[in-house]
Amino acid sequence: MAGLTIDFTDERLDNGLRLIIAEDHAAPVVAVNLWYGVGSKHETPGKTGFAHLFEHVMFQGSAHVAKTEHFNLIQAAGGTLNGTTWLDRTNYFETVPSHQLELVLWLEADRLGSLLEALSQENLDNQREVVKNEKRWSYDNRPYGSWTEKLLAGLYPVSHPYHHPTIGSMEDLDAASLEDVSTFFRTHYAPNNAVLSIVGDVDPDQARAWVERYFARIPANAALPVALGDLSLPSVLGQEQRETVEDKVPLPRIFWGFRAPVFGDRRLDALELAGQILAGGKGSRLHRRLVRDERLAQDVTFFTLGLIGGASVAAGWATARPGIDLATLEGVYWEELQRLATELPTADELERAKALTEADELGALQRVEERADRLSMFATLFNDPGVANEMLPRYLSVTAEQIRDVCAEVFRTENRLVLTYLPLAPDAESVGEEVA
Amino acid sequence: MSVDEIAKQLTIAQRPTPGVPRPYLFPPFERTRLANGLTVIAVHMAGRPLLAGAFIVSGGASDEPQGEAGATVLMARALTEGTTRHDAVALVEATERLGASLHVEAGWDALSVTLDVPAARLPALLDVVAEVVAEPTFPSAEIDRLRDERLNDLLQAAADPRRRAEEAFIETIYAPTSPYRHPAAGLRGTVEKLDADAARRALARLFDPARMTLIVGGDLTDLDVPALASERFASWQADPDASAPRVPDASPASRERRIRVIHRPGDVQTEIRVGHPGLPRLIPDYHSVSVMSALLGGLFNSRLNHKLREEKGYTYGAGAGFDFRRAAGPFSARAAVNTDVTVPALQDLLAELDGIRSAPVSADELASARDFLVGVFPLRFETPGAVVGAISGLVIQGLPDDELVRYRAQIEAVTPDAVLAAAQAHIRPDEAAIVLVGDADAFLPALEAAGMAPISVDREAGSPPEAAGHVTD
Repeated sequence: MAGLTIDFTDERLDNGLRLIIAEDHAAPVVAVNLWYGVGSKHETPGKTGFAHLFEHVMFQGSAHVAKTEHFNLIQAAGGTLNGTTWLDRTNYFETVPSHQLELVLWLEADRLGSLLEALSQENLDNQREVVKNEKRWSYDNRPYGSWTEKLLAGLYPVSHPYHHPTIGSMEDLDAASLEDVSTFFRTHYAPNNAVLSIVGDVDPDQARAWVERYFARIPANAALPVALGDLSLPSVLGQEQRETVEDKVPLPRIFWGFRAPVFGDRRLDALELAGQILAGGKGSRLHRRLVRDERLAQDVTFFTLGLIGGASVAAGWATARPGIDLATLEGVYWEELQRLATELPTADELERAKALTEADELGALQRVEERADRLSMFATLFNDPGVANEMLPRYLSVTAEQIRDVCAEVFRTENRLVLTYLPLAPDAESVGEEVA
Repeated sequence: MSVDEIAKQLTIAQRPTPGVPRPYLFPPFERTRLANGLTVIAVHMAGRPLLAGAFIVSGGASDEPQGEAGATVLMARALTEGTTRHDAVALVEATERLGASLHVEAGWDALSVTLDVPAARLPALLDVVAEVVAEPTFPSAEIDRLRDERLNDLLQAAADPRRRAEEAFIETIYAPTSPYRHPAAGLRGTVEKLDADAARRALARLFDPARMTLIVGGDLTDLDVPALASERFASWQADPDASAPRVPDASPASRERRIRVIHRPGDVQTEIRVGHPGLPRLIPDYHSVSVMSALLGGLFNSRLNHKLREEKGYTYGAGAGFDFRRAAGPFSARAAVNTDVTVPALQDLLAELDGIRSAPVSADELASARDFLVGVFPLRFETPGAVVGAISGLVIQGLPDDELVRYRAQIEAVTPDAVLAAAQAHIRPDEAAIVLVGDADAFLPALEAAGMAPISVDREAGSPPEAAGHVTD
């Protein structure tokens, strides 16, 4: 199937705001995606979770927009929206019927230009409680919910900013002050630390004029970029890390974590295809052997999380069926990783992995929202939005040898983190007396 | 100049006004009916070479006898586990080589085979569809594995607070005569008895060409979908005794407000569910209910989310809605709140259910929900998969072909009085079950003091979940 090429323009306003526009008139919709070059990796000790808490504050109003009005206006315009925070960046995005584009640009510019106007202790306290409930809901009150925190803490040293997850700690969230919000905003939220992508049913000249009108008056921050120090890491952990965790879970689960090549490194492309071969659906090696043939596991996964600073994450898990010997489960999973590290995948496996990857990519890129996200991502992380058009050809050019070689580099005993989750012992949970 | 004045200069107070909307019409589609009763729907979307498809069989878990609850979902999962010509691995490999995906699932009202495939490979993928639908062998060993996976999944569900809350909620609101009292995939009591014969019976109950519809969407240039369907499906014999899908019993367990607490020591949040049996899809005031439901608990700034999240900070998100099925699926309001605010959060939630029934909404509030539902329409149908999904919904629920063409005008016609009438008719706080899953020791005294309704408490043993029955007092 023919690849899909995104034709885009790439320019900068005088204040440094990078503007990327891609026209597509197939549907009367337009996506706006604004990436800021700030993520949880920019947090300082004692202030974990702050980049994400700040993202919430960005929806609490600005000089001309009341609390919660950003959501109201976009939804009343027939749009969808959200924001997300990750280790390397924060983004904000809206998709609207195309005649509502100017409203989106006005809203984004208003909060970049005047967020602190609307900042109040009451709003900060409210969103702090919301975020603490997000942490409880997504991590603390969820079976196996502590694993991402343990994964990052195990793969990255305390001194590395990927050591802690974006959600942060309750103590640090409690300590966040209005002063912290102001400082964070002034330090990181500036047009020269942002990429604005507009994709869809858009008149580029009109869009440019609106971006000029609303964003050009916001000054650059001359102190950018914020220095992060050297994030490089040894390519392997150096020694195996193991932990057993008791949790309120019925079935044991074995989690794996590995340091992997950074995002952008061609070896990570090969590792992603290895992930397809290992666990990408019912035809994959781990699924066939562990779930279907030997019936050791209830489910299996394997995936990569691409990161630009030092090392990416490769991870996976297998949930044990009741009564299964965990050493056997771990051994068979490891054996499959080793097999891919020592023997070439078959031509048919590689072809299927590429066909699935191609279908996934083309499926995702049908949506203007995804294209806008990719353009902003590659501009922010690699200073080159055109990488959005290179990824699929890169995946399709990966060879069997490259897959074997990267697996041999990554799947090493001295590079593995193994977390074994076990059901709590029966007497660990007290059974109270009847009250009602 | 003050800091405030500088900041204001960096922005423009004047809000933009929207431009002229580009006209949008839901893509037109055509039905063809084969002689055996199978319906084919083709929807052309120019410039979309990645096609989406759905092979729908009307009827689902609703058609099961109570003693075989879960058989239809199991049968759906097992359709791709082997045919008279290929085993499961050969089938999945063949699909993958086409760069296609093929996924089978069953719910209350239908079994659906959903497809994604590049246009040129549609004929080859339809060969696979015809094979798995017409020639499944249901190998016993694979059925046993899928059954065990469901049993294990139930163990996982019991340990997950939100899944525990969903299961407890439907068990509490529906009468024992209603299949909606359990999940469509069934519970341990029936699932553990399922076998290949149960899967075959489930298939025999549903599969008849008159109940089947093939929908394909995307750029169909040079593809004659009805002809492709006819070549593969026309030879199937219609069953003269085939019945229409069943409308299941959806009786409530009670018409009194009551509280059921599931005690989980140490939980840091309480999962709240409040509601009762709701509505079937085929109702005259569907559009008024949609607007009302969006205002109450569907939008980000819905009354529930605004109160519990943006005012109080009790939760990451609160919402409410109807699960429209062939019979009355559940209406529920829900939130996960930190344990120490369980009772005030529940009181706020109940106050919003009362509030939406007590006075007409303002014109502005109505406009925000109405404008969203009308305006978001083109966004919902950007891809062939979304369009095919929407048409699937029409087919499954027996709605007319122009339902989506008329949708926006019908939403625009909803008035404040119609919203109030919908709330008063369909939201019944006095008949609601309240299910709370969390650390009861932390909130029971306050809950009892609030005197909202009779309370029962399930204290689950801390033993392994396989053995965890529950004690209800």
